[in-house]
Amino acid sequence: MLVVLWGAATLAFLALQLVPGDPVDTILGVDAQVGEQTRDRVREELGLGLPAWLRYLQYLGGLLVGDLGTSYQARQPVAEVIGSAVAPTLQLAAAALGLAVLLALIGTVLSRGALRGVVSAVELVAASTPTFWSGLLLITVFSFGLGWFPVIATRDASSLVLPALTLAIPVAAILGQVLREGLDAAAAEPFALTVRARGAGPLRLLGHTLRHAGVGTLALAGYLLGSLLGGAVLVETVFGRAGLGRMVLTAILNRDLPVVMALVVLSGLVFAVLSQVADLGARALDPRLRDGTSG
Amino acid sequence: MPRHARSTAATALVVVAGLGLAGCAAPADGGDGGTVTFAIEGANLSNGKMDPHSTQLDSSALVLRNVFDSLVAQNADGSFSPWLAESWEPADDGLSYTFTLRDDVTFSDGETLDAEVVKANIDHVIDPGTVSAKAASLIGYNTEDPEGSAFQEAVVVDERTIRFDFARPFAPFLSGLATPFLGVYSPASLELEQADLAAGGPEATVGSGPFVLSEYVPDQELVLERNADYGWAPEGAEIGTAQTLDIRILPEASVRNGALTSGEAQVIADVLPTDVDQLGDAETEVWELPGVPYSLYLNVNRGALTDVRVREAVARGIDVEADVESVYGEGYPRAWSALTSTTPGYDAALEESWPFDADAAEALLEDAGWTGSDAEGFRTKDGERLSVEWVAWTPQPDDAAALADLIQQDLADIGVELVRSVVEPAAYNALYGPKEIDVTDWSFAGTGGEVLANHLQTGGFQNASAVSDPALDAILDEAAASTDIAEQAALYEQVQQWNAEQWAIVPLYAPTRITASSSDVEGLSYDIYGRPLFLGVSV
Repeated sequence: MLVVLWGAATLAFLALQLVPGDPVDTILGVDAQVGEQTRDRVREELGLGLPAWLRYLQYLGGLLVGDLGTSYQARQPVAEVIGSAVAPTLQLAAAALGLAVLLALIGTVLSRGALRGVVSAVELVAASTPTFWSGLLLITVFSFGLGWFPVIATRDASSLVLPALTLAIPVAAILGQVLREGLDAAAAEPFALTVRARGAGPLRLLGHTLRHAGVGTLALAGYLLGSLLGGAVLVETVFGRAGLGRMVLTAILNRDLPVVMALVVLSGLVFAVLSQVADLGARALDPRLRDGTSG
Repeated sequence: MPRHARSTAATALVVVAGLGLAGCAAPADGGDGGTVTFAIEGANLSNGKMDPHSTQLDSSALVLRNVFDSLVAQNADGSFSPWLAESWEPADDGLSYTFTLRDDVTFSDGETLDAEVVKANIDHVIDPGTVSAKAASLIGYNTEDPEGSAFQEAVVVDERTIRFDFARPFAPFLSGLATPFLGVYSPASLELEQADLAAGGPEATVGSGPFVLSEYVPDQELVLERNADYGWAPEGAEIGTAQTLDIRILPEASVRNGALTSGEAQVIADVLPTDVDQLGDAETEVWELPGVPYSLYLNVNRGALTDVRVREAVARGIDVEADVESVYGEGYPRAWSALTSTTPGYDAALEESWPFDADAAEALLEDAGWTGSDAEGFRTKDGERLSVEWVAWTPQPDDAAALADLIQQDLADIGVELVRSVVEPAAYNALYGPKEIDVTDWSFAGTGGEVLANHLQTGGFQNASAVSDPALDAILDEAAASTDIAEQAALYEQVQQWNAEQWAIVPLYAPTRITASSSDVEGLSYDIYGRPLFLGVSV
């Protein structure tokens, strides 16, 4: 796991060294009436005068003792800067994940009946619709058109519905596709024939096969994390919400290296933890994994 | 056994049901006088741009005007009214201004205004640690050359009297002082770290203005409550009854438009010219901004553009009128001068003086030796193609890109290749610093001809054309030092004429600031830059 984190931090550092642009000029903005001496002084204050390799070592050193550094832009500890944005994004992602799982399950149940073709087509469309566009569409219909959910209000939970739904759509589609594939595979196995032979209907059978398909779906956890975080960038922009997505975008555009690195390391960490959890989940679902025999 | 799958579904159901129930809750009310929701673009406010003394952003000015008052207010006709200062007196030699402050002003944290507080504010503006990107230059101060600056220092004469001393007359001083960038902080705020002021918030962003910042969620919203004690509005200004001003940051233009038409927002800023028709019965305020028009800046030190004939050919070869009209619609006027027509000192004599003329442009290019032609139809000289690169920064708005397409086509018609690249701001700055850009574009708001100095004087911050002409520098210096409005105007006319011969700036159109409001809102007014003011607002 440490190797993953180190690799992630190193790649992020390298990438930001390679792209052109000076953080000081970027933070000040194109039309800032600030002279060269002052810019140099700020650069000095941020420690940007040091050679890249030294800054890299300093950063890794700080990371080892849990110090994420200071944001160039906010001039405040990165941990604080990120901390303030975690909650809204977590809320959004959790709501979206809940919705996605629900939608995927509904799709799966429906697809066992006559609606198979329809569900599959809807999934395909949903998976390939850009989040940005679907967000605007949902706002236009449900907020500006029907007035069901507010976009402006940020305090009540109803303002979370549309952003979460926007974020959930592509995730639900992918989940649904994988789940259905797993179900089909499970339904073709001999045990399914036994179940049916006992006189179980399609829904009863689903109860058995879902468990098999669930194992494959759990393996998607990493992918889901990526699409939730990536989607958050767009959703938070369209809906004007504070959060990690917006922060990632600004930090990259502003070359705010400490924040970008911290976010990369953080996602690496979450990814690693999630993989572990998914692994445990798979064991819980599939007794064969628990016994150590191959599945 | 499907136990696990079922419980997952059950959890999801609970989540959704919870959201659905919460959706029925009534929206919170702001108080007796009601809430005005104001949606702005504002995406970069969170980049530490909440300190009026250090920011240069327009969105900062838009938001912070509600919290901070200035010593004087500038009226739409360019004249000045008393505000925190009840009177002022410029010295005859133009080397100092003496202000008498009101004696009844308190900041929202209970501190009172006096001359020491004003001095502390000015000292904060010019402190190198503030890294002022606009405020310092507005009062004629250069942190890198304090001795050589026009502004020297603020001197406390007595409790209610403060004097600003200058090394040489600085004509734009009062109009600079009237902007939100020279807003006056509570002395308690100035005790805080610069980073805290830049980040902003109810603790740091404290002034004496008509509203008090009560909540700030970066990238999302600012909630402001009306300052009940506010009794020092600029002369003649009405005070409205709206209790809460909710400023919502919505980066997407279409979302702001929808928020207004659906009634979720009452006022929206940063409306695109092309969207005005979609706003139904909302009132729109289209404000032509004073300053430098949206223009192309031709770098006089780069390649083919070093030849003034090529620069003039570029200016004459663009069908500005037709291009602007096809992007922004009928009645959107093209610009003729390096100042917009609403700027004091505008030279109206330049109007109609350089209409589109492709033949004249081609003749100029022939004359300059670009007589050959390559396989793609572009002009060549000594085997080299007549090619210039236009570098813009992201995000490039759709309208700007559409206009650029048309300009590119016009120039191709006279045999000039215009290569366009749009790069990230960081990459742009890397090129802009050493002036390695052939052509770039922007508009620049300012209340007077002094914006020309930024753009055309040697070492000016906006001198993208890399102009360095001692004779022109002398005219600009003379204009900045002049306190006689007519003399000043005559000097700035000379500068505009210089540009109409040298073509460092190719003016295209005057940018407008468009604000739209619903009919529920009363008492909205505008400053001279067309920024909405909420002092008088009622709902």
